[in-house]
Formats: sequence, structure tokens, C-alpha cells
Amino acid sequence: MRNEQITGTIKTFPGMPGAALRLLALIDDPNVTVQQIEGILRQDPGLTANLLKLANSAYFGIPSKVGSVRQAVVLLGLKRLVQMVIAACTSAVMDRPVPGYDLPAGELWRHSLAVSVAAEGLVGELKLEASEEIFTAALLHDVGKLILGQFVQEDYAKIELALSQGLPFETAEAIVLGTDHAQIGADVLTKWALPPAIVNAVRWHHAPEKSVGVDTMLDVVHVANLLCRMIGIGMGRDGLHQQPSPEVTRRLGVTSAHLEKVASQTLQWANELSAALAA
Amino acid sequence: MNHTVLVGDMKIGSNGDMLVTHALGSCLGLVVFDPAAKVGGLLHAMLPLSSINPEKAKANPAMFVDTGVPLLFNSLYEKGASKSRLIVKAAGCGNPMGKNEVFKIGERNYTVLKKLLWKNNILLEAEDVGGTISRTIHFDVSNGQVVLSSNGAKRPL
Repeated sequence: MRNEQITGTIKTFPGMPGAALRLLALIDDPNVTVQQIEGILRQDPGLTANLLKLANSAYFGIPSKVGSVRQAVVLLGLKRLVQMVIAACTSAVMDRPVPGYDLPAGELWRHSLAVSVAAEGLVGELKLEASEEIFTAALLHDVGKLILGQFVQEDYAKIELALSQGLPFETAEAIVLGTDHAQIGADVLTKWALPPAIVNAVRWHHAPEKSVGVDTMLDVVHVANLLCRMIGIGMGRDGLHQQPSPEVTRRLGVTSAHLEKVASQTLQWANELSAALAA
Repeated sequence: MNHTVLVGDMKIGSNGDMLVTHALGSCLGLVVFDPAAKVGGLLHAMLPLSSINPEKAKANPAMFVDTGVPLLFNSLYEKGASKSRLIVKAAGCGNPMGKNEVFKIGERNYTVLKKLLWKNNILLEAEDVGGTISRTIHFDVSNGQVVLSSNGAKRPL
């Protein structure tokens, strides 16, 4: 019953705009041209405007003003451009308040941006080889909360009971609701036709050891998410009720100094990005 | 007036002011109050030691416990507070679940605070630290009252 209701909500959840889907389909095409990208974006002026705002954010460090899609592709590359298209497309839906997790309007979006920049910061700090898709995987890791929130709210007493037995929050979700926000997020991204590696990172961001095969992108998103919560960004009713994976800590070779260095920079980076879209 | 103290931020208030800080996870929330001078301050420090990023510490000493705590006390002395009268309370310093030392930033924040206070012969009047909950501090500088809230439940500190 619950499961049917939740599945029904996934079906009615907003989809990705056509322009974003068409760009995503091109990302692995080695012969894609700037003209093709311009052609796709021309159909969506609102998206293009937001894209250019993001491209001009201090986070990407481009010294001159990016005034056109052509310049954005040349200066940032196609992969960055697609990441920004996805960010521009999802900011409105992720800006909403999230019941159940008690996140006020804007907080999930701020958390998502923070996890993206913290994940890229960790990749740099730890000198890792991770897919460039990590920005998007981190940005969308909690998208399932937008759907599961209302159900968490309704069954909060039961979830609290599970929490009092020392279970992590997402385990309590799974016991009470039959699914968790990571699974729901993965379902949404599958529907949006995002690449499987991104879907996998979102699916297992709280339980990376359950993923089939080791993926550095997933491991880093797991750590970046916890780190951002620890510094108070996007920490709602679920608090710090999560457990860092010892296996991931070992695999990445991450130390407290790495975490603290990245934490000291994350706020500024996240503010630069969110200010760009607000402008 | 209500003043919000952001992450890595510190504010001083006087009679009639309410100092508020939200979403303390691993961060330290430190309240210092002089009841006679009616001045108080609230610090929301993110990380234990400024040596991790000296450049940031220079621009924003309130981000770190080892630079933020002296900043808070010195700012209060400038406003007429006297060390012998100060009431000091701490909240926050939470940690994720499990025993993973790498992630115990909250514990390290608390340790650095205790060392600093001990070196300066200052005792904590009250504390509500550790665990996995998120905490919000409301500090009424008119009367020194500190109220903590987590998930809607309020308690005095």
C-alpha cells in the first residue's frame, strides 16, 4: 500500500526538460559540435540564461565574462556545461522545503551544491581519479527526499522508534516505509535517463559497500555528504544519524586533516555557486 | 533585536539582543555572558585548529575553535566584560554514528575548547555536547538565558 503510494509519487514527479535530455544524450559523442549544442539550447532561453549565470560564478574561476553558449563550451568544456544545465534544471524543484526531514526552503539545494563542491574538493585534496560526473551525482544524491519526505512525515513516530534502537536514519526509513530516499532518488534519476554510474552513486550513497564494484565517485559522495551535514549544511531532523563506512575511509585514504581542509573551503565555494543562480 | 550567527561566525550583543545560531552538527556553539555588564557573545566555530587553513583563519578567525574562542573573549572584554564574572556554556560538537575517528570533528572541537579554557582557568557552567542531534541556540542577552532546540523540542542550557 505504502509502496504503491510512493511509486505513484515517483511517476508524477517532474521530468527533466527536453533540452537537458538531448544534451545528456550527446555527452559521450566524440563528434558533437558547438553548433549542435547551441541549437538545442536556443529552444530554451530561460535555461540558457541560468546556465550562463552559473558559468560566471566565481567557483569555476573564469576570469572573463561568459556571454554566450559558445564561450561557455569553449571555456568550460562540454562536460561542465552539461553539469550546469542539470543544475539549472533542478534548482527550482530542489529549492522547495522538504517536510519529514524538516528542511526549510532552499536548504536541500544549498546542501546539494555544498556536497558537489565538497566532493570535487575531496577529489583534488586526495588526488583521486574520479569521473567528472561526480558533480552531478553529488548534486542529485538527495533528490529522493523530495518524494519520501511526506511519507517520513506521516510515519515519523515509527521512524523515531527505529532510531531509538540505534539505527541509521535511512535504515529506519527502509524498515518503516519499505524503501529509503537513496532508492527513490535512484528511481527518479533512472526515469530522467541519467547515466548508470550517477544512478548507482545516488542509490548507495549511504551504503557504498553494497554497490556492485568499487566506484571512487560513490565513495567520495558518501564522504562529502557526511562532511556537509557535520558542518550544518542540510542537516534536518535526521541530524548526524548516519554512519561513515570504514571501508570507504580506508579505500580513499581519507584522514581528518583532509576532511577539515575541504570543510574549511566548502562554505565559500557553495556560496559562490548559489549566489550565481540567485543573481 | 535578533541576530543570526552563521557557521564560522561570531556576534556580540547587549541588553535587548537575542543571539541565534542554527544547525550545530559537529560545530561548536559557545555562549559567553557577563551578567553585570549585560554583554554576551555567541560563536559558531566549524573546525578545531586554524593550522589546517591559516589563510582562512586570517580572513575569518571565527571559523576555528583555537582562533574563534580568544576572539569571542577579547571582543567581550572590549565591551566591558570582566573575566571573573563570565558565564560560559557550550553546545554542539556532535559526531556521526559509529567509531570512525576520522569523522570525529565534533569531538576534536570540544577537546580544543576544553584545553583553551583550562589553560585560562575558565570553567564551563553548562554543556550539551556530542551525540547525533542537530542543535539550535537561542541566547537572550538581556538575562543570560540560553535555550537549546532540537527537532522542535526545547530545553534550557
